[in-house]
Amino acid sequence: MQAAPDVPMPSSGGAVVIGGRPEGYMRRRELAFGLALVAPALLLVAGIFLYPAVFTLTLSVTEFDMVRLQIGAFVGFDNYARLFANPGFVDAIWRTIYFGLLIALAATVFGFLIALLLDQQFVGRTTLRVVVVLPWAVPPVVAGVLWGQMFHADVGFMNALLYRLGVIDQYQIWLGDGLTALHVIAIAEIWKAIPFMVLFFLAGLQSIPHQLFEAAAVDGATVWQRFRYVLLPLMVPIAIPLVLIQFVWAMKAFDTIFVLTRGGPAGSTTTLNYFVYQEAFQAFDLGRAAAAAYVLLLVTLFVVQIMSLVRHYLAMRRWSTA
Amino acid sequence: MTIYGSALIVFVLMALPLYGLLLTSFQPEAVIRSRDVQFLPATLYLDHFRSVLAPGHIVPIREGIWNSVVVSTLTAAVCLIVALPAAYALSRLRLPGKNLMLGAMVSVYFLPTTIFLIPMFVLFVSWGIDDTFFSLVLAYAGFILPFEVWILKTFIDRLPREVEDAARMDGCTHLQVMRHILLPLVRPGILAGFIFAFILSWTEFLTPLIFTSDIKISTVALGMFRSTIDIQVGQQAAAAVLTLLPVALLMIVFQRLITQVLMAGADR
Repeated sequence: MQAAPDVPMPSSGGAVVIGGRPEGYMRRRELAFGLALVAPALLLVAGIFLYPAVFTLTLSVTEFDMVRLQIGAFVGFDNYARLFANPGFVDAIWRTIYFGLLIALAATVFGFLIALLLDQQFVGRTTLRVVVVLPWAVPPVVAGVLWGQMFHADVGFMNALLYRLGVIDQYQIWLGDGLTALHVIAIAEIWKAIPFMVLFFLAGLQSIPHQLFEAAAVDGATVWQRFRYVLLPLMVPIAIPLVLIQFVWAMKAFDTIFVLTRGGPAGSTTTLNYFVYQEAFQAFDLGRAAAAAYVLLLVTLFVVQIMSLVRHYLAMRRWSTA
Repeated sequence: MTIYGSALIVFVLMALPLYGLLLTSFQPEAVIRSRDVQFLPATLYLDHFRSVLAPGHIVPIREGIWNSVVVSTLTAAVCLIVALPAAYALSRLRLPGKNLMLGAMVSVYFLPTTIFLIPMFVLFVSWGIDDTFFSLVLAYAGFILPFEVWILKTFIDRLPREVEDAARMDGCTHLQVMRHILLPLVRPGILAGFIFAFILSWTEFLTPLIFTSDIKISTVALGMFRSTIDIQVGQQAAAAVLTLLPVALLMIVFQRLITQVLMAGADR
């Protein structure tokens, strides 16, 4: 994430000279007052985020004494080496990237389509919007339970529906197979991610001037052409940051995995975040957990960086063809 | 016609899991357990709710709801008290590196929580404050604060500056401007900030899972999870419905405000 350069705003506060006091004095007062206002928030965020992040980095290159709760000897990259010697961990990296991209892309596509629908005028639109936005407020643990019951091997809706429709010829044990279990978790996460996507796309759609479509229609563009050559190029710049955010969000998935599979069967639904939890709070190997947490952070940043490059490439291509 | 067709599909896809949960919570265990799955309610059976809410039930939903109300309210209050001045300063005052501060706060919000939870766990245990509400409120407040600052700042950004500038001209201090002019105008923002912080605290699961083990201070999300270990499906559904209900109601009652906040983010 990059910070925009600090552009002085034309109507910035404090420009008003009061009681004939010299400008410089007022500005210093404003600075001190402003810092006093921001300080508690910055301190809390630094205390909860920055300090622990450094602590975790230290943990990742040391041995930790669980009894005395103290950082022990420096061990260099031992923790990292032990991680990468574990094939389960390397699998988890790839699985995590796949899981994140799947959720990000699926949520973006569905979110976009649902937003297109909600942008139309029809009876019951408000009701549909409430139903679509509701999963945002569903606690992830409840989402886990909910989808667990949907995909329950004996009494779930999914088996009953698909069996009656003739898609499957016998009830499936969805969570018993690693690959389908991973996708059940992904479905739960996508379902929870859709509201956020829909609202962002709706805001984007509402900011597009409708004259563009009318002009294209007058020029004889078909519905498909209007969608493909007018709407889509306008929506891609909105969609790419959303894909990024959703990917980063998916990296944090924990509750649904914990409730649905506990990372199983045989570690086949263990993402990096879940791996960190297991190492830290089940195996109590804090050094290795910290190292895994940093691998997760690096993988996240790496994928985000690549997606940003793709975004720049697309932007460049648009400029050159424009 | 295609609109109504697709609206129906979207409605069913998004609502089906919630409907399934609700249906299960109102059906007797024998009906739920049948492999001949029914999609419509046969009876209205309230015993699952009754048992789950009975005192001393192994799923501490009743205590959990109360604990979560306390923790979420405290967190939302702390967040507002800390975030409101910061949002005002970041929106209105001339501060060097403002955008950097905001950018730094917002970007840490996206980092995986486990990175912070490991050291916090170590620290809280060594300070002896694990297994307390305080540890939860502290952690939640830290996690939610960047989001809270951002929400309040978007609300303040949209208020007209003229009144404030006029008041400053008349000799009001920044503090007076904040107290008498901004505070009344930014009330919808405060409400939105409170609701968001409350919902985010309510749904938090990993933090209480790690920091608390005493069942007396179990939050509702954590308590509800105990139902997945060994309990009837119907009671599990009832516990899930009860966990979901308060936040779902908040969401429905304030859907206009919440939509407005989330959509404001899309403008930038």
